Amino acid sequence: MRLIRYAFREGWTSLVRSGTSTLFSVTAIALAVAVLAAVLLFTTNVERWLDEWSSSAELSVYLDDGTTSDERGAIEDAIDVSGIAASREYVSKQEALARFRDGFSSLSPLAEGLDGNPFPASVEVRLAPGDGVEAALQALARQLITLPGVVDVQYDRDWLNRLAAGLDVVRRLGFLLGLLMALAATVTVAAVVRLSLYSRRDEIEVMQLVGAPVGYIRGPFVAEGVLQGGLGALAALAVLGAGFALVRSLYGTALAQVLEGLPVGFLPPVYWAYLILGGMVVGAAGGFVAARQAV
Amino acid sequence: MIETRHLSKFYHRGVYALRDLTLTVEKGEFVFITGPSGAGKSTLLRLLLRQELASEGELLVNGQDLATLSRPAIQEYRRGIGFVFQDFKLVPSRTVLQNVSFVPEVLGVPVAAQHRRAFQVLKWVGLQHRIGAFPEELSGGEQQRVAIARALVNDPALLIADEPTGNLDPDLSLEIMNLFREINAGGTTVLVATHDRELIRFVGRRTVHLDQGRIAEVM
Repeated sequence: MRLIRYAFREGWTSLVRSGTSTLFSVTAIALAVAVLAAVLLFTTNVERWLDEWSSSAELSVYLDDGTTSDERGAIEDAIDVSGIAASREYVSKQEALARFRDGFSSLSPLAEGLDGNPFPASVEVRLAPGDGVEAALQALARQLITLPGVVDVQYDRDWLNRLAAGLDVVRRLGFLLGLLMALAATVTVAAVVRLSLYSRRDEIEVMQLVGAPVGYIRGPFVAEGVLQGGLGALAALAVLGAGFALVRSLYGTALAQVLEGLPVGFLPPVYWAYLILGGMVVGAAGGFVAARQAV
Repeated sequence: MIETRHLSKFYHRGVYALRDLTLTVEKGEFVFITGPSGAGKSTLLRLLLRQELASEGELLVNGQDLATLSRPAIQEYRRGIGFVFQDFKLVPSRTVLQNVSFVPEVLGVPVAAQHRRAFQVLKWVGLQHRIGAFPEELSGGEQQRVAIARALVNDPALLIADEPTGNLDPDLSLEIMNLFREINAGGTTVLVATHDRELIRFVGRRTVHLDQGRIAEVM
C-alpha cells in the first residue's frame, strides 16, 4: 500500500512537471479511447434499435379468401406449437383495408376506386425475442406454406440478421483501429516516460545505490503511465459526451423524427469504466516498458 | 571488512582500469584511495558499490563475494553502504529534508521515523535550519553536507566517497573531511577517493596510491 501511495504521488509530480510532453501522451491515449468509444456509441445504439426491431418482428401468414375456420384453426395451432410466438392476432380482410387507409391516408382514394377488398386476411405473429429462433422460424414458415388456406408467409428477420452481421463487422473494425491506436499510444507514453526517466536519472541512480526495491524505482513511472492513460480516457469520454449532448440539443427533434422514436443514448456507465480502465492499462504498459528498459 | 584478491577490471581491447589489486581494509578504518585521473579510483568504488563486476579476482565485503550476489542480495548489500559523490546527486525538486528522508522512505521506513532520522542527521551536519530549502538555494558545501546526511541516514557500516571535495573550495573541503573523520570515529569504515594531497595530509590516514590500475604505494 505504501509503495502504491509512493508510486502515485511521485508519478503525479512527474506528470505535472513534464507539461507539454505529458499533453502528447494524454492526447494519444485520448484519441485511441475516443475511436473505441465512438464505435461503441454507434454499435450500442444500433444494438438497441435491433432489439426494438427484433421484439416487434413479425411473421405474417396470408390467408386465402376461402380459408375455412377449421383451416385457420390448424394454422393457429401450428403457430402455437412452434413455441416461437410471443403472441398472434388474426387480421380480417376488413381490418387489413382499414389499416391501409389509416397508414397510407394519401393513398386511400386508390383503395376507394377498387372493386371489393383486395387485402387478404392474415395471422400476424409477434415473435419471441432470443437466440436460436431463426431455425425454428424457418421450419415454421416451411410448414405453414404447405397448410391449406395459406397463400404466403413473410417474415422480416432476414434484414435484421444482415444488419446484425454488418454491425459485427463495424464493431470488429472499430476495435482493430482502436487497438492499433492503443499500440501507438503505448509507444507515445513509453517515449514520454523515458524523457521523465532521463530527467530523473540521478534520483534513479541514488535509489539503486541505496538498495531501493525495484518496485519503488519503476513504480512511479508505471503510475505516471496509468495517470496519463486515465486522464486521456477521461478527456476522450468528456469530449465525446459533450459532442453527443451538443448534437442531441441541436438535432434532437430531427433525429427523433428520422428514427421514429427509436432510443438514442450515450454509453452506459459500465462502458465508461471499461474505457477508463483500458486507457490506464495502455498507459501502464507504456510506463512499464520504458521503466523496464531503463532500470 | 573489504578484501580484494588479485582484482582486475578491464574493458574491451584489454584496457585495464584495475590490475591485480590485492588490498585489505579493516572494519572501522579510514582509507584514502588516491592517484592521478584514470588510475582506477572510481572503478574500484563502482566495483564496491556493485555497479560493475570485476573481470578477474575477488572482491569480498564482510566475507561476501560481490560477484555472487543475486539482485535482491545486491539491494540488501547496498543498504549497508553510504555513498557521496563529487556532484552531490541531490534531487532538485525535493527539499533538503525530502532529499534525505526519501532514502528511508523507499526502504519502507514509516513516515514519522523517516523524518525523525532525516532531521537527526541533518542536525548532525549542521543543516537543521535549512530543511525546507531546495538544493539550488544551497552553497556547494551545504549541498555536500546534505549528500553526507543522505549517506548517513541509514547508519551505514561503510561510507564510500568519490572525490567528495572536488567541487568545493579548500575551507569547505576541510569542513567536509572533518565530518568524515567524525563519522569514522563513530565506527563507520570510510573509503575516500581523492587526488587532493593536501586533504590527505590534513586527515593523515592510510593512503593507497593507485597508478594505471595498480597499487603503486601504500602509506
